[in-house]
Amino acid sequence: MLSSLVVGLAIGSAYSLLAVAVVLVYSGTKVLSLAVGEIGAFGLYAALWWHDHGLLGVRPPVFVSALVAMVLGGLLGLVVERLVMRPLLGRPALDGLVATLAVALFLALLELKLYGLDPFPAPSPVGDGSVQVAGATLTVTELTLLALAAVVALGLWLFLTRTSFGLATRATTSDPVVARLLGVPVNRVYVFAWGVSGLLAGAAAALLANVNGSLTPFSLTSALLSALAGAVIGGLDSLGGAVVGSLLVGIVNGVVGSRVDPTTSAGIVFVAVLLTLLVRPRGLFGSTRVAA
Amino acid sequence: MTLLAVHDLCSGYGSLQVLFGVSLRVDAGEVVALMGSNGAGKTTTLRTITGLLRPMSGSVVLDDQEITGTPPEKLVARGVVMVPEGRGMLRDLTVAENLAVGGYSVADKQEVAASLDRVWTTFPILHERRDQKAGTLSGGQQQMLALGRALMASPRLMLVDEASLGLSPVMTERAFSLVAELNRSLGVAVLIVEQNVLALDLAHRAYVLEKGQVVAFAEGAAVSTMQDQLRTAYLGAAR
Amino acid sequence: MSRRELPGRLGGLALLLLALVAPSFMNVPQTAVVTTATCVALVALGLDVLVGSTGQLSLAHAALFGVGCFTALGLGTHGAPWAVAFAGAVAATAAASVVIGLPSLRIRGLQVAIASLAFQQFAQQVPAKWDAVKFVGRTFDPPRWLSGVTAQYYLGVALVVAVLAVLAGLRRTRAGRSLLCVRDVEQRAVAFGVAPGTAKLFAYGVSGAITGLGGALFALQQTSVSDIQPFILRESLLLVAIVVVGGARSPVGILLAAFATKALPGLLAPHVGDGVALWIPVGLALVLVLSVVGQPEGIGGVLRDVGARLVPREPPDPRPAGTDPVVAAARARSLRLVPRPLTRRLPVPALLTARGVSVRYGGITALTELDLEVRRSEIVGLIGANGAGKSTFFNAVSGLAPTTGSIRFRDAELLTAAPASRSARGIARTFQDMGLVRAESVRENVLLAQGWMASYPAVTGMLGLGASVHTERELRRRADQALELFGLDHLAGERLGDLPYGTMRSVEIAAAVASGPDLLLLDEASAGLTPEEAHALGDRFRALRDELGLTLVVIEHHVPLIAATCDYCYCLESGALIAEGTPTEVTAQPRVVESFLGRGTLEPARTLSESAHVGTPT
Repeated sequence: MLSSLVVGLAIGSAYSLLAVAVVLVYSGTKVLSLAVGEIGAFGLYAALWWHDHGLLGVRPPVFVSALVAMVLGGLLGLVVERLVMRPLLGRPALDGLVATLAVALFLALLELKLYGLDPFPAPSPVGDGSVQVAGATLTVTELTLLALAAVVALGLWLFLTRTSFGLATRATTSDPVVARLLGVPVNRVYVFAWGVSGLLAGAAAALLANVNGSLTPFSLTSALLSALAGAVIGGLDSLGGAVVGSLLVGIVNGVVGSRVDPTTSAGIVFVAVLLTLLVRPRGLFGSTRVAA
Repeated sequence: MTLLAVHDLCSGYGSLQVLFGVSLRVDAGEVVALMGSNGAGKTTTLRTITGLLRPMSGSVVLDDQEITGTPPEKLVARGVVMVPEGRGMLRDLTVAENLAVGGYSVADKQEVAASLDRVWTTFPILHERRDQKAGTLSGGQQQMLALGRALMASPRLMLVDEASLGLSPVMTERAFSLVAELNRSLGVAVLIVEQNVLALDLAHRAYVLEKGQVVAFAEGAAVSTMQDQLRTAYLGAAR
Repeated sequence: MSRRELPGRLGGLALLLLALVAPSFMNVPQTAVVTTATCVALVALGLDVLVGSTGQLSLAHAALFGVGCFTALGLGTHGAPWAVAFAGAVAATAAASVVIGLPSLRIRGLQVAIASLAFQQFAQQVPAKWDAVKFVGRTFDPPRWLSGVTAQYYLGVALVVAVLAVLAGLRRTRAGRSLLCVRDVEQRAVAFGVAPGTAKLFAYGVSGAITGLGGALFALQQTSVSDIQPFILRESLLLVAIVVVGGARSPVGILLAAFATKALPGLLAPHVGDGVALWIPVGLALVLVLSVVGQPEGIGGVLRDVGARLVPREPPDPRPAGTDPVVAAARARSLRLVPRPLTRRLPVPALLTARGVSVRYGGITALTELDLEVRRSEIVGLIGANGAGKSTFFNAVSGLAPTTGSIRFRDAELLTAAPASRSARGIARTFQDMGLVRAESVRENVLLAQGWMASYPAVTGMLGLGASVHTERELRRRADQALELFGLDHLAGERLGDLPYGTMRSVEIAAAVASGPDLLLLDEASAGLTPEEAHALGDRFRALRDELGLTLVVIEHHVPLIAATCDYCYCLESGALIAEGTPTEVTAQPRVVESFLGRGTLEPARTLSESAHVGTPT
């Protein structure tokens, strides 16, 4: 029981990385990005391909591949922001959602074309060891996920509350037009949000693919949906809420998924999301603006 | 010395044209009122000046440099700040944080600190509530915060959009007094856009906007004549 | 049928002919591929009812496709005849769709999309549990005449044609207009007698039914289903792509997009190899990205532009034709005849009585203990500074604001009645920022306002049966008459959003009058008008009262207009009533003057600066 709980926490940590990526983008732009999963996956595919096949005689170790995946994810995030999201500013939020859906579809189908449907082997960037934690066995990958999620959550909190660019980001979340009128470089805030979300997506992909065993097109989007469920339950414009919600969903998937079956855990998550949307649309920690 | 000049501005939203050739001028240190009823184009004029809207034609010139279409975040560094309609509170941020955002684009941190002290002195109520979330303040307090926040960037020109909206007459009077006081003591030029004829009491110069065009203009002593005319037109018998 | 519709109709006819003769130059596998694509096309058409017409984004339609398919299989493999299997699939999918749609009663937009995503994610796990058990070894055997590939192809074509006919019927009727209302002006739909919740669930039901047809056809074609690939998330995303790229509310565009996505790769693969064929979905996704960013109206929009260019026309003068208000109103007197029960038409002295009306939004009180009375055939003015609560009072009457107290209309309490019943009871209103649907034509908007008079059942309308045809014709006649009253009849077919703002606001008043009210609430009808135009508006108010028997309440800033037209006047300030009486009495009261113009106790800036003037004059 404990081990499935801990594994659930680890998966939830991966979800929380993805959820934070989504909330970062949602906070300022009110656009729900469905593309986060494939942005991470696309970078990872390229990085792992490089690891397998080498380029110009260079074959990087797996750890470097993970870093490459993060960088590629960040770059891809910036490209998407500039080419797709920027022109859509001012259009209704649903248009943005469909645009990110289109990006996700495009990337996933491209992955399908380039790398095929067969599962792509995804070795762990942090080695194959395992650790005993409180009587449960955790792989190093899972441990890394837990640690990374904690670091990211703390880091973002410090960033938002202690730095001036963090203040600018919070101002943009509160009201982008007023923020501009006060001199906040709102476009730079969006670029930052998309770039960091891409980085997080790459990191999540590198670790999660190993936990799942392999990488396939759309698999990260499936994980993203669980992360999204967590973000909705926690509150779409609350980073803390995103983390808490995703951990909860991870635990449900880990515990119920392994001890009962995945269908039941999917059912529980579905009901939880539905209840949240009906009873308290802003989630556990979100602001009332989410419900608008 | 002319601070801001607007030439023949035509602007609108998509295919809907709202302004049909608006020209006006604000000199350094003076208060200019732009009067008009609902739908006349007052807010559109301010949004175009401040760069939230791109005009269809015409130009906006600051200090002899064209700033047409320059985004608002860049204009703050050049001394132009807008106090938006409805006061534009960053509701989830505290009073102190709202003010900090106001000073975001100022490079010299000592200057920001000095501006902050000035705001605390001018608005002691804000200092009392500095850790309170801006969304919880009353209408009048929010108006003070909006003005104080605008001052954080040490502006040379403040654009004030319908400060009287949603305020009782007493609060409106107070808001106008504040604006007049800031103009007198700090020398900040003000372009105030209003429906409420009382705003003309502050103004050195005034324009009247109707259906996107300037239909009347008055300067100096003539402003109070215009105020009387508008009062009559507003409340008087049919033409 | 106007000239503008001609290219569209001809194009559709050409496609139909192509579809009918296609099997003669396709071999069997190719025909099967096209039939499968037809199944997806049906689902896409179903999805469009939600996305295009009602503005609800569903990311669960592949799962619904699965519901239809598995229901048909379930019934068909257990001996039911194919028609029963089809009917069962339609019913089950419609029901499932309505269940998915239930959250939309309380939440909107983005969150509806999220709820549908959650459902899709859950639903695709379900078959894993019992698919293999239930259907292994059993097949859905169609009757002999339907077992041929070509026969199934023609069944598909027939289904598509039937669905298109039903959708066209939907668009022409009250139900279709209600959906548009929900899509574009949901917050105010009740002012047009549309109950958004009912309209949305109806849309989900219709959408599900059409999707179920697609699922049933697929089940027939496949005879058994071994994997769930056609029903997973990827397919839901592709369906949205097909609808968006095809163009919302553009059936031809959607059919083309569905064909390109699902049939083209299979048809081309033998000729160009699998590798190239796999690029087509990628290409579609890229086109989708470009569509959303650049051309949101998709293929349908492109086709419409091309069609418009083929049939050139001179755009009409967007200003209302000048009409004498009194003469025009006399001509339009038949608008007084409305199908309202007698009890709701009896003359009463006090038409509207408000007592102790308060409106509170969270911590903000917008109206405090308002007492107000409107008598029959009066023109009552409501004045006050911005934010005084005038529009809030209208919202209270419309049922759009959280209100306490009592508002009685014809001695029946309004606040306990459903908001959507206002127009049926005889209250019509306009909004300060023009509350009509800009994407639709002027006439459609007027018809929308008359929704309460179209009392035929939605299904009758969709099938174009008896009562609905007659009623629609009558409503169109009334609409044209109302437009003529305001000199707008030459603009009846124009898209509302293309007209100048002033004309749009006139259309809004015409629409309100067309709905045959007893009480007309006008919110700042004179905004943006010159003094002359405002004066003419006063003549129109009086004509509406004298010739059409309307009672008016007008919110105005233009005080001379109030003085010239109103019998009685109420002045509000910060949510409370500060004066009432005839306009002369009210405007003479110092408190009213002060409310508008302030007390004038400020030190005039000019006297100080005259001695220390900074700039140079002019």
